[in-house]
Amino acid sequence: MGPDQGKDERPPSANWAVAFDLGLRLGISVILGVGGGLLVDSWLHTSPIFTLIGMVLGIGAAMYTIWDVARQSMRR
Amino acid sequence: MVHVDIAAEKLFAIGPLTVTNSMIGALLASILLLLAARWFTRRSGIVPSRGQSLIELPIELLAGIVRGTGGKRWRQFAPLILAIFLFVLTANWLSLLPGVGTVGLAEEVDGKRIIVPFVRAGAADLNFTLGLALISFVAFISFGLRANGVRGYLKELLIAEPAYMTPLLTPIHLISELSRVISLSMRLFGNVFAGEVLLATMLALTTATLFTLPLAFVVPGVFVGLELLFGLVQALVFALLSMTYITLAIAEHRQHGSSDDHSGAAPEQATAPAHGAA
Repeated sequence: MGPDQGKDERPPSANWAVAFDLGLRLGISVILGVGGGLLVDSWLHTSPIFTLIGMVLGIGAAMYTIWDVARQSMRR
Repeated sequence: MVHVDIAAEKLFAIGPLTVTNSMIGALLASILLLLAARWFTRRSGIVPSRGQSLIELPIELLAGIVRGTGGKRWRQFAPLILAIFLFVLTANWLSLLPGVGTVGLAEEVDGKRIIVPFVRAGAADLNFTLGLALISFVAFISFGLRANGVRGYLKELLIAEPAYMTPLLTPIHLISELSRVISLSMRLFGNVFAGEVLLATMLALTTATLFTLPLAFVVPGVFVGLELLFGLVQALVFALLSMTYITLAIAEHRQHGSSDDHSGAAPEQATAPAHGAA
């Protein structure tokens, strides 16, 4: 690394890749949570308890993803 | 009639292995890349010819991005990122060649005559994209393990701060990690499959009547041009996201203040000057 070590050297193309990724990951997190909850409910016959828990976890995972990406961007 | 099914069509079986047309597409892309690599290593020179410069152009473009973004250890994962990029790019562009997706066996399904193509775009099959996403997933986990050590990595993944939040945050963290694989695979599959459907639709619309037939010589060509661009963008996005995940897995190590290096990378390698692409 040169004297400019520590600066943000990330080219713009890498930023769009993260932007492309973020939107899709938000939806997928919720789908994974709800899907997992539905599976557990159909297995244990406890509907809708785990579907609701899965939905909350999925939404939480989506929010965590946004927070994680923002945290990484701010650190750079 | 050209037919685009969401699942790849079975062509034949070798014992328990079913060979589909998208597997043929992926295999052709691999063979093409291997032949290009063989030709390139035999005929390349220090002073590049025009052809060599043309082949080196996408490699240099991506190597520059990896060098600029990948931190000190960019040399360790640059070959993987370049291989993913070239493979996805070749598979995507191969699917735009005449005959791919259009030449095949005529079959009758539900009273309709359809064409089952011999070759289909590799990335228009979820198995292909999921396989590549899993390779990327294993790569960023292994880089994370090398940077943090097994204990450090599992602690980072499974134990939250503060510790009493662990039952809530661990499933959230696991869902977030898993969403990376699904997001990588679904994006590539969705874009390439949508491109196939778009081209088939444009061809069907322009050849539907004699009046619109002249358009069949122009309109699909415009969309093929767009698909060339989308093929490049999707290959770039897949490779850059894989690189971003690996870089983040390594960066966690530095950010959590651990100074011991589990990667075994030599100091001179870690501080190597940023020239001479992988």
